[in-house]
Amino acid sequence: MRERRLGEMSPLAKVLVYSVLIGWSLVVLFPLYWVLITSFKLPGQVGDGPDYLPFLDFMPSLHAWRYIFVDLGADTFRPYWNSVVIASVSTVLAMLVGSCAAYALARLHFRPRLISIGLFLLALALVVTAMATTAVPWQLAVTAGLAIFALAVRALRRAPSPRLGNGDILFWIISQRILPPVVAALPIYIMFQQLGLLDTRTAIILTYTTVNMPIVVWLMYDFFVSIPVDIEESATLDGASKLRIFLEMVLPLAKPGLAATSLLVLILSWNEYLLALFLSTADAQTIPLLVAAQNATRGPQWWYMSVLIVIMILPVVALTLLLQKFIAKGLLLGAVKG
Amino acid sequence: MTVVLDQVTKSFGDVEVLKRLDVTAQDGEFLVLLGASGSGKTTALRMIAGLESTTSGRVLIGERDVTHVLPKNRDVAMVFQSYALYPHKTVAENIGYPLRVRGTPKADMDAQVRSVADQVQLSDYLARYPRQLSGGQRQRVALARAMVRRPAAFLMDEPLSNLDAKLRGHMRTELKRMQHDLGVTTVYVTHDQVEAMTLADRVAILEQGVLQQLGTPKAIYDDPANLFVAGFIGSPPMNLLDGRHEPGRFVHAGGVLATRQRATLARATLGVRPEDCRTVAAGTGVLDGRVYATELIGDHTLVTVSVGPAPAGGVASRMSADAGAMLTVKMPKDHEAAFDEPVGVAIEPETQYLFDADGARVR
Repeated sequence: MRERRLGEMSPLAKVLVYSVLIGWSLVVLFPLYWVLITSFKLPGQVGDGPDYLPFLDFMPSLHAWRYIFVDLGADTFRPYWNSVVIASVSTVLAMLVGSCAAYALARLHFRPRLISIGLFLLALALVVTAMATTAVPWQLAVTAGLAIFALAVRALRRAPSPRLGNGDILFWIISQRILPPVVAALPIYIMFQQLGLLDTRTAIILTYTTVNMPIVVWLMYDFFVSIPVDIEESATLDGASKLRIFLEMVLPLAKPGLAATSLLVLILSWNEYLLALFLSTADAQTIPLLVAAQNATRGPQWWYMSVLIVIMILPVVALTLLLQKFIAKGLLLGAVKG
Repeated sequence: MTVVLDQVTKSFGDVEVLKRLDVTAQDGEFLVLLGASGSGKTTALRMIAGLESTTSGRVLIGERDVTHVLPKNRDVAMVFQSYALYPHKTVAENIGYPLRVRGTPKADMDAQVRSVADQVQLSDYLARYPRQLSGGQRQRVALARAMVRRPAAFLMDEPLSNLDAKLRGHMRTELKRMQHDLGVTTVYVTHDQVEAMTLADRVAILEQGVLQQLGTPKAIYDDPANLFVAGFIGSPPMNLLDGRHEPGRFVHAGGVLATRQRATLARATLGVRPEDCRTVAAGTGVLDGRVYATELIGDHTLVTVSVGPAPAGGVASRMSADAGAMLTVKMPKDHEAAFDEPVGVAIEPETQYLFDADGARVR
């Protein structure tokens, strides 16, 4: 199918196309504009009803900005910095581990035996029960559990058992996202409570990494399988090592996928509210919690919220613009065939 | 360097795709693995490259047993059917990649890339990306990338099959000349018998993982080892008549042919190539039949003669095997014959090939 360029269209069609595009842009951009001007309004002006144009409809004021940056001061910057650290570290971790897993699933064939998985779960249950009911030190329990698992797998290595394939593993990974996060929130809370990690960035980073990993694996798997395996085999025969192929062939060719996936995961971590609410009280608070906190006993403080939302959106917009050029298609063009 | 597959077997689960394959490519030889899809030819090539493991048997390159050597340490270069160019690298970077991996100094590398690009007429395209090239140019980049280092062997997996017919013929000639000039042992996989016959010093014909015959194109054409090879090589294919054999004669529903063999076979197949048959006046040949159709090909005419019992009627029954046989006869281009004209077919006994019920050649 031939691509139709805007320049070749009839004037009428052009007007139509532009009016649809402009109309939709207004729909998308207006809420952002509304938030921006609200951040410059006084509480009274917000309550007065719709005023759209600064200096004409209302006199802009910096009172909300002063409150957030000066009066709150550290109480704004700490959550903000927390969000920056948590979102970026968890994104890097999830991308690193998730991409490797996705690449392995795309290129290697795994045939895990169902019986081995069953034995692992059994050993895990044993360890947990032992630790919960007796005073066994955890190091001992885990070592014993691993030993029991290894011995059992060895003993039953000839037992007939159905095998799973890569498709099953992939589905299991994405199935971790089927459960609503709120179901897991309490167990996660208790786990970090036991570990003494509540209200730390570490806890939230680990949680976000785990929660976002399935998305990374799922998306990156698709990008990796779309790279012709011939390219990698050819590089092997040209003398390149596995690591070199991953770095020089696979990663550059998966760049659009990496950019798109990391942006998505970053935004998910940046905006996450529920798990952060459970895991933090003060020190590890993230910016979405601070936004929500503006709806306090005095009712929703729209002006303060607007300031926070504006500074929350800015880095994401900047990053999207930065990564946009990588999220281009057609990078694989010309690799194979004519 | 020689490339040896020594009693190599490959199984995928319960499926044996190669059965005790024994093939040696001599130093500097152009060896073609020919077979239909599923014959195991590509698997054999990938085993030489190390992209596929062997179930049993050995792979040797030169004197070295490389059965358990990683692909990158085997010192072979491969041209893939898909070309497998690196899309994010320029033509020069593509060609130079094997050198770069080996840590060749930049100046050396540039000189070698330029020299190889000259050989395949790509000098003007070095700064381009694969997506900016035509199919034939991409093919030449793939070749240049294989040529740039002097590997122990070239492995080629149907490298011409994605080109259009005219370009394919041209590249075939170029490839043959290039291989001769470089003198590097080449193992080439194809399903195209014309490519196999024209390029090869020797051809290995594979069918269902079993080597059928290994020999020069001429030997394979003139002296097929079995019924499969006889039927596979040649265009139009060899005529095959089913019947029985008594000492000195082959009895077919359409007539009796004198043979040189002394065997007695209740079921036998007699093969004869279209160019070894002639149509003659009815009653004067060894077989009698009627002209089914004539086709002017250009430099020759193909006459299809239906021999054996007169067909009961209708096209369907004429096509069935019970009604006798269809014989293709290659005649000069000015030969003319009418539909259903009674004719005889003359065949010299020394151009006949006899096969037993299992397809083995009877000499």
